[in-house]
Amino acid sequence: MKNLKRFGFPIFFVVMAILPFLLDPRWQAVAITFLVFTVVALSQDIILGKSGMFNMGQALFFGMGAYITAILNSQYGWPMLATIPVAILVPALFGILLAGPIVHLRGDYLLVVTIGFNIVFVQVVQNNLGGVTGGPNGIFGLDPMNLFGMQLASQVSVYYFAFAVLLLTLGIMRNLEKSKAGRALHYLREDQLAAESIGINTRSYKIFAFGLGAGIAGLAGTVFATQYAAVSPEAFEFIQSVLFFSIVLVGGSSIPGILLGVFVMFVLPEIFREFATWRFFIFGFAMILAMILRPRGIWPATFGKIPKFLIKESNHGA
Amino acid sequence: MDIFLQQLANGLTIGSMFALVALGYTMVYGVMKLINFAHGDMVAASAFVGLTIYTQIMGQAASLAAVIVIFLLTAAVMACIGIILERVAYRPLREAPRLSAVVSALGASLVIQNGIMLIWGPRMKIFPELVPQVYWDFGGVVISLIQVIILALSLFLMVSLYLFVEKTRMGAAIRASSIDQDAARLMGINVNSIIMIIFIIGSSLGAVGGLFIGLYYRGITFNMGWQYGLYAFIAAIIGGIGNIPGAMLGGMLLGLFNAFIAGYISSTWADAFTFILLILILIVRPTGLLGERVAEKV
Amino acid sequence: MAHNELILTNVTKRFGGLTAVDDLSMKVAEGQIYGVIGPNGAGKTTVFNCITGIYKSEEGSVNWRGEEIRGLTPYQIVNLGIVRTFQTIRLFSQMSVAENIMSGRHIKSTQRWWHGIIHTPGSRRDELENWHKVKEQLDFFNLGEFAAVPTGSLAYGIQRRVEMARAMAVDPTLLILDEPAAGLNDNETLELLETIFKIRDKGVTVLLIEHDMDMVMEVTDYLTVINFGKKIAEGTPAEIQKNPAVIEAYLGSEDDDE
Ligand SMILES: Nc1ncnc2c1ncn2[C@@H]1O[C@H](COP(=O)(O)OP(=O)(O)OP(=O)(O)O)[C@@H](O)[C@H]1O
Ligand SMILES: [Mg+2]
Repeated sequence: MKNLKRFGFPIFFVVMAILPFLLDPRWQAVAITFLVFTVVALSQDIILGKSGMFNMGQALFFGMGAYITAILNSQYGWPMLATIPVAILVPALFGILLAGPIVHLRGDYLLVVTIGFNIVFVQVVQNNLGGVTGGPNGIFGLDPMNLFGMQLASQVSVYYFAFAVLLLTLGIMRNLEKSKAGRALHYLREDQLAAESIGINTRSYKIFAFGLGAGIAGLAGTVFATQYAAVSPEAFEFIQSVLFFSIVLVGGSSIPGILLGVFVMFVLPEIFREFATWRFFIFGFAMILAMILRPRGIWPATFGKIPKFLIKESNHGA
Repeated sequence: MDIFLQQLANGLTIGSMFALVALGYTMVYGVMKLINFAHGDMVAASAFVGLTIYTQIMGQAASLAAVIVIFLLTAAVMACIGIILERVAYRPLREAPRLSAVVSALGASLVIQNGIMLIWGPRMKIFPELVPQVYWDFGGVVISLIQVIILALSLFLMVSLYLFVEKTRMGAAIRASSIDQDAARLMGINVNSIIMIIFIIGSSLGAVGGLFIGLYYRGITFNMGWQYGLYAFIAAIIGGIGNIPGAMLGGMLLGLFNAFIAGYISSTWADAFTFILLILILIVRPTGLLGERVAEKV
Repeated sequence: MAHNELILTNVTKRFGGLTAVDDLSMKVAEGQIYGVIGPNGAGKTTVFNCITGIYKSEEGSVNWRGEEIRGLTPYQIVNLGIVRTFQTIRLFSQMSVAENIMSGRHIKSTQRWWHGIIHTPGSRRDELENWHKVKEQLDFFNLGEFAAVPTGSLAYGIQRRVEMARAMAVDPTLLILDEPAAGLNDNETLELLETIFKIRDKGVTVLLIEHDMDMVMEVTDYLTVINFGKKIAEGTPAEIQKNPAVIEAYLGSEDDDE
């Protein structure tokens, strides 16, 4: 584990930083998808992995971010860049409002309700509510992102935009782990009653997790809309939520596990295209097998990230 | 008024199909505290299995006897698949964290759904017309023979199940296992065989539900299981998950609700309204209409 | 009115037809080590649950420092300085001992929610200060060597200590212990006694449930005995030992056990 931290992550970042120059355009697109979906999976991890809330509607927040960017740009002529704060804040607010009345629900109930939110969202955009979502076809022809006079028109530039968003997300996750709020999420996941009894207002932290997870997913949505210069409902169907849900749990709610999960779910099928029809059949078996062999995930998150001075005299652990 | 009565009849028909499928969810949930996500796909698979039995084994005969054989054979096949499903995907995870079993159930769902696609292809298949197209017109309200059959057979099955669970020793063992698995085990109940029985019953009822879906809607697709399964699961939750009469009630209510939405508003919004109904019910009664509140002992 | 007093007046808690706590009144004064004893199922834990907000009693009042706390949520009550441990240990079992104790610092930490997203120098300092407080508890409870070990893998007696350390990390005014000696061996029980005295010497009032009569007699200043939810006696350990109703209740319950 130590070696992974010391070498694994730096190598990963270096590889990711030079990757676009090693790939042709088709694989650049796949790489962008990998980055975007990793961000969504990480945002789902905040809600599902860290806080243990059975959320199966993460594609809703992802889609909401994408649609907000698309609508503001295409209907109201906002520059893409200016849509970013809205695409973060509105999903976050929605996450908070939706979570409010339901976070107290028992696990499986929460799961079904969040599926419901996702399905309602897709139905709303498909039925073109308010006449701004473009119905089943979605919205096309968005402008490129304009960053300080630099047009993100090429795939490589979109790649770096996505990469920056991933780095930002990883930074937030790191801060979260080392903060009171992040620990509160872990505590309430492990034992809600014990958490309440030690002074944690579990309800408000659950809502916080939803808001944060939704905001990050919304930002990923903006990147997604930038990449394709378009949005359409089927990219945010609830089957996508099922995939994000599974990635987090099969991966084990750790960053390497999630990276691996996203790679397996979204990149491998691109490599083995001839197996496209077998894709989900095989994934299904893999999910069952993974859970039987490693119920806590392939690469389970580890705890015990405590300051060094506490473990000085230790003859256990580490 | 015509619309009302018409949608009442349609709603009861759909509702009884939901209820049959919901029973499979609720019984499994009752004992194992697990959403058997694969159940909806099992229901979809039943329609395809029934179709194949009709064309390959029965030589496309549609006599009453042939129909009965199709139903029985399909139920038997699905019961076997149910047993295998439980053995392979759920039993190894009984002691594992809750979420692991959920993921395994999702995996099983993908396997079955895509298994159907690999066997029968991705295109819609047309289910045979096993029941003659007979209609009765009651002053504008049209009721078909198939609706009557669906409703009657569903009610018969549900009443039988209810009596089985309430009046027999095995039914008592099932109820005991739902309340407290460990206590049931201590009282000498073989929980493994109870779970097997539940999968047999749930899968067979689901098979009947799947055949009904084929008979009623005619078009069957490999991925229809999610849709029906989700609705049936919502029905189970509305009734109070784990509660057998609750699943029946929830199924009927949801069927009626959907029929009225389709009749009076528009079916394009049916999903949205269904989930709004679910959320409202859960906010008012977090354990469903007939579910009991259980306080955690500390 | 004295400070830091916990006064229960006519508290009644029912579960369906069962009256688990029946018209109970008691008063815990500042600086006391107060015991609640009674046979199995007498309703002791339920009393604690009513104090700590896990249940809301149907009737009566729970008054803490002159303020009604009946109906407050558990975390609100912790904020008023009352912290508890559980009869069946409830630790965050995948997390390390230090992280478990850190949960006790939650209400003392000055971090706000946005520090979970971005740290400031102030939040970093707060983080460090609280880890130092955790260190104090690790030392006080002699848990230093286990700091990084997940609590789920520790021996039972150590887990009990971690749970107390976690509660003490809150800097409580009133510490409530539900059968702290359950499952401990003789040595560990002796250590526990010492620890409880040390905690009291820090100025913390202690309210505890205990089954072990010898221990109760040794450690408590004052006792309430309940049976079938009702108070059957109260007094100093010496008085209780001589009380016929108590002897009756305990002999009766021992018959039940056989
Ligand atoms: N949540 C609950 N629902 C129903 N009954 C309960 C609940 N909690 C406790 N009881 C019942 O209330 C009574 C008192 O229980 P309590 O746990 O308070 O006893 P106790 O004195 O702590 O016993 P012990 O010494 O075994 O810990 C018991 O009969 C118990 O079964
Ligand atoms: Mg007790």
